[in-house]
Amino acid sequence: MATKKTSKSTKKSGTKASPDAEVGTEQEAGAGASEPASEGASSDGEVLRQPAEVAHADQLEALRQNESDTAPASWWLSPRSVLTYIVGGKTLTATIRGKQTEVEITRKFFGDDTVVERAIVTLASERALLLVGEPGTGKSWLSEHLAAAICGNSCLTIQGTAGTTEEHIKYSWNVARVIAEGYTLANLVPSPTMNAMRSGALLRFEEITRCVPDVQDALVSVLSDKAIAVPELPSSPLIWAKPGFNVIATANSRDQGVNELSAALKRRFNYVHIPIIGDQRTEQSVVRQRTSELMQRYGLQAKVAPPVLDLLTTVFRELRQGKSKEGIGLKQPGTTMSTAEAIGCALDAALHARYFGDGTVRPADIARNLTGSVVKEDLGDLASLREYATLVGKKRGAKDPVWKELCDALEVALRQ
Amino acid sequence: MSDRVELSRVPGLPLDWSALQARVQQVLDAGPYWFPVRHHSPTVALHVGAAIRARRPRLVLIEGPSEASHLIAHLLDRKTRPPVAIYSSYRDDANVLGLAGVATPSPDVPVRSSVWYPLLPYSPELEAMLAAQEVGAELAFIDLPHHALMKPHRPPENDEPEPRVEAVAPSESAGEATHERGSEGHIERSEFYQRLAAAAGFRTFDEAWDGLFEVGGQARDTEDFRRDMACFCAAARATTDPARIASDDTLPRERFMLREIRRHLSERELAPEQAVVVTGGFHMLLDRDDPELPPEPPPGTLNTTIVPYSYYRVAERSGYAAGNRAPAFYQLQWDTRQRGGDHQDLVIEHVTRVMRQGRKKGSALSSADAIAVTQHASMLGRLRGRSEPVLDDIEDALITCCCKGDPAEVGQDLQAAMREAAVGSRVGKVTRAVGMLPIVADFQAQISDLELGEALQRDRNFVLSLDRKQPLDARRSAFLHRLCYLGVPLGSLDPEAVRGTIHRETWTLRWSPSIDPAVVERSALGDTIESAAAAKLEEDLAHAQLSAGATTARVLDALRMELPDFATRLHDVCGPAIDADPRFVSLAHGLTSLLVIDRHAAFRGLRRDVVADLVVRCYGRASFAIPDIASVPPEEEREAVDGLQAVAEAVLGEHEVALDRDLFAAYVSSAAAQTSSMFMRGVLLGLLAELRVIDGAVLAAEISGLARGAETAMVAAGDLVRGILEVSRASLMLGADAIVEAIDELLRASSWEIFLVMLPSLRAAFEKLRGADLGVMCDRVAVRYGLREVEELDLSLTVGAAALMAEVDQRVAQIMEGFMQGFSEGR
Repeated sequence: MATKKTSKSTKKSGTKASPDAEVGTEQEAGAGASEPASEGASSDGEVLRQPAEVAHADQLEALRQNESDTAPASWWLSPRSVLTYIVGGKTLTATIRGKQTEVEITRKFFGDDTVVERAIVTLASERALLLVGEPGTGKSWLSEHLAAAICGNSCLTIQGTAGTTEEHIKYSWNVARVIAEGYTLANLVPSPTMNAMRSGALLRFEEITRCVPDVQDALVSVLSDKAIAVPELPSSPLIWAKPGFNVIATANSRDQGVNELSAALKRRFNYVHIPIIGDQRTEQSVVRQRTSELMQRYGLQAKVAPPVLDLLTTVFRELRQGKSKEGIGLKQPGTTMSTAEAIGCALDAALHARYFGDGTVRPADIARNLTGSVVKEDLGDLASLREYATLVGKKRGAKDPVWKELCDALEVALRQ
Repeated sequence: MSDRVELSRVPGLPLDWSALQARVQQVLDAGPYWFPVRHHSPTVALHVGAAIRARRPRLVLIEGPSEASHLIAHLLDRKTRPPVAIYSSYRDDANVLGLAGVATPSPDVPVRSSVWYPLLPYSPELEAMLAAQEVGAELAFIDLPHHALMKPHRPPENDEPEPRVEAVAPSESAGEATHERGSEGHIERSEFYQRLAAAAGFRTFDEAWDGLFEVGGQARDTEDFRRDMACFCAAARATTDPARIASDDTLPRERFMLREIRRHLSERELAPEQAVVVTGGFHMLLDRDDPELPPEPPPGTLNTTIVPYSYYRVAERSGYAAGNRAPAFYQLQWDTRQRGGDHQDLVIEHVTRVMRQGRKKGSALSSADAIAVTQHASMLGRLRGRSEPVLDDIEDALITCCCKGDPAEVGQDLQAAMREAAVGSRVGKVTRAVGMLPIVADFQAQISDLELGEALQRDRNFVLSLDRKQPLDARRSAFLHRLCYLGVPLGSLDPEAVRGTIHRETWTLRWSPSIDPAVVERSALGDTIESAAAAKLEEDLAHAQLSAGATTARVLDALRMELPDFATRLHDVCGPAIDADPRFVSLAHGLTSLLVIDRHAAFRGLRRDVVADLVVRCYGRASFAIPDIASVPPEEEREAVDGLQAVAEAVLGEHEVALDRDLFAAYVSSAAAQTSSMFMRGVLLGLLAELRVIDGAVLAAEISGLARGAETAMVAAGDLVRGILEVSRASLMLGADAIVEAIDELLRASSWEIFLVMLPSLRAAFEKLRGADLGVMCDRVAVRYGLREVEELDLSLTVGAAALMAEVDQRVAQIMEGFMQGFSEGR
């Protein structure tokens, strides 16, 4: 039975609505751990990245076999098992592919566990879930894993953009067939929302606040009536949602005020704010773990020494907080110095070291990529980096060769 | 109890649970009937009341201050309405402990100690008293008097160093902290609780307690509940290091309680089974064979009374065992159960209260939100392994369903509403039959005599303007200053209204439930407000004896409080402090206070020659101490500069006491030559310019010197400019041209990197400029950049704007010149 479900989810991944969603997920993967590198291929052949329900199929199956609680309608797992899947920390015995195996449930989300608890409970309630936070805090990552654990399909996704239309949210028509045959249910092209409603699954709506308010409001009836009307058809039927249907949306707090949700929509969502990782040690371990996983995925034979990774997280943390550990006030850049951005910076540095260096990531490689991480929208952010190098880096460089190398390389990079 | 982790199955616990249960059962079965409690727990209150009513004992002994047993009748008086607190204070007037001058700042100051024991309507101790009254049982408190824990001074033998004894100040000895913090702290730190919390995911002890005992606890059989509580506490005690238990007051208190139980039984010739004992759960497993005797309370002045308390004050103490994180929430829990409601009713009522508070603050919270919160809390509770949600689940649900964004940003009103609903504003009342402490009687008599009663009847601010030349106002002012000094939160003085005059004051008064407890707390200092203020002042003076700044500030306080004895001791008190204090900052503060004291002396007709002598001495010593600040560390620079400015103001100001300007200038010059800090050099040179010892050109030359120097020196130029502008006012007006030119030269000479380093200092320097100074500086910048008709403009602009305006002016001049040329050629 379990194997059947796993293969079902693999099949479902083929119905993925928006390939862009993968990009968003990847970009925001900062606060979470990753899938084992050994599972680098799906039944469709080798792919760069698998959805969570495929990558962690063994863990989901082990949880299902050890289930001791009741799952809500259409949920694959009980809320408590979903929580265990996300926060990890258990080893379960399960029969996987006919063999009795010890399956370790790994931690997927680093941070306050109550955030996950609140998110799970929301998804089991009447209201939809809106994960909100700074870019790179792991909203999409958490959303994907929640969908994978709850309904075994994290790919019913809409990527919100300024160009998203009501059709993307509700349904569209096969125009050629409509011309030939007129409006029939068979000619209707369902959206991921409609697919989720029909199967009692979760719809993932990425970056909802990037959509214009009129389009966002198409969700109001979906969330309140749990139905979509199709007025073009003669009987104006309603497509009803099966039990278990709900929506996980994400919104970037930097977009606040751009396309604010209407009051009607706001009240249909529970907001769960995901803060940036609070303590430096956790952030360092996330960056270390995630960077090594990504390097494995890219088959990179590069080495990043712990002091270099610590240097990277220190730079990011101090610039984000606008204060060095010595108490020097710093100009904060406009860019979010998120954990995900630090991981991206480390990976770029590793790529550079592998293909243009000797395979060892040095502080200079970090420096080269820092400029790109810090200065994204506003050239004025160069001044922040320059100030940091002059006031903080140089002083530390006098005593520590790692910092000296970083500052020297930054000076060169900033001149270009 | 949590269905996620059973107490008996806490993973990794080095404990034989069956053996522990057997031992606990032995204690439970033996007489007297012992009921373990957690303070302020409504569920425990329910069960302890039920147990006493069912057993109908002849005697009920409660863990409460034994010295306050005589107050039990007043606690049970119908006119007493909790929250109230028993207050007990001790003063060793005869110095029998030998701690005066050892644990206190001077031999004249006796050692003191005081304690509060708050009681809420749902405190198990109070419910036990009420139940005992109902069944006609006798009642007594059995806890060790707090002052019995004070150890007498033991003089050191031979070469042994003097043992360090901590002073006990009334304000620091909040009883709820001292009496129960230990035992609940032990439970929380025990290996049993730590493992339980890790396995069950409890974030706080309150969450654990509520999940384990409050939720569903009321429906349980009283004996089962008692057994589980006893096992919980026994497991904690069994996994606590005995050395840790021996390190605090747990054992002496337990020895005393055991002796008191035996004494009460023997005096009444009762069998143990005829008595009920109510104590904290941790004490139930005390060593019944402990041969050691408890300490005896020392003789001295002991005051005990009952005082109205407030929920706010109880919640303030949250974190200590006798505190309560949400008194109004638990009150609601108590009330709901009293009227037969269930847990769901409690959740709905509490959520509705939060909604009401939130709406008052302008939050758009609907009934649909309340429904969502109730549902969410219930599901969250279940996910966390509880049959019903606890306060933590409800509050998490409120944030999830009602806060549309980052709680730290958009959820502040909601969180304030949650706090208000959880804490509440209930204030207790005490029957008049309880005798009033003398200090409380004096306080109330003065409120009436000074006609301040009306101001205190309203629960809002009352502004009182006083003219100290009027006799009534002078008395009011002295009274209010005394209360302020004693920390009684009746009113605050508007610092703006007092500036520049010693006669007029503006006070803002407001009644608060903290006033009565604060007055009571000061009873250890004296029997009247005046004597308590004088005692505190005496104590503070003893603390401050080597500090010129602190001593003179206390004398100034004495004058404001109309304590004339201190004014006559002015010379004896301040003279030695000024002579002994080598610190510039302290002496500068002393000088400032003495100049104000001089004005008070003139107003009151006191001997001004004594003040003048002290002013000259303090000024001289402050001047001699100036070279020390040449090497002051950066973190102390701020107060050194404030001190320098205070002395400079004294020198430049108009006083009847003549101060030698040259003396100050000579030491400032010397310090300027010695200091290695560019900021301090700037400050000192700026002061010399203010004193007209040097002019603006010298300051400018100093800046130019750095502009022409090496890069390493140039980096510090920003600090020099910041120092100069920190103190210069008149010198700026006179030498602005030269200074602007020098700064311009500096900026032109610096590289981009050096400029970036200097930038924060330069920015800080120019931000100091205000009004006319800023105008002068902008004018000079504008002129330097070519603005021709500056004398006709009023430039209240930024320096950058002035430079821009100058550029525009130049362009216009060029255009006009070209135009005129063309015009003349055309002609």
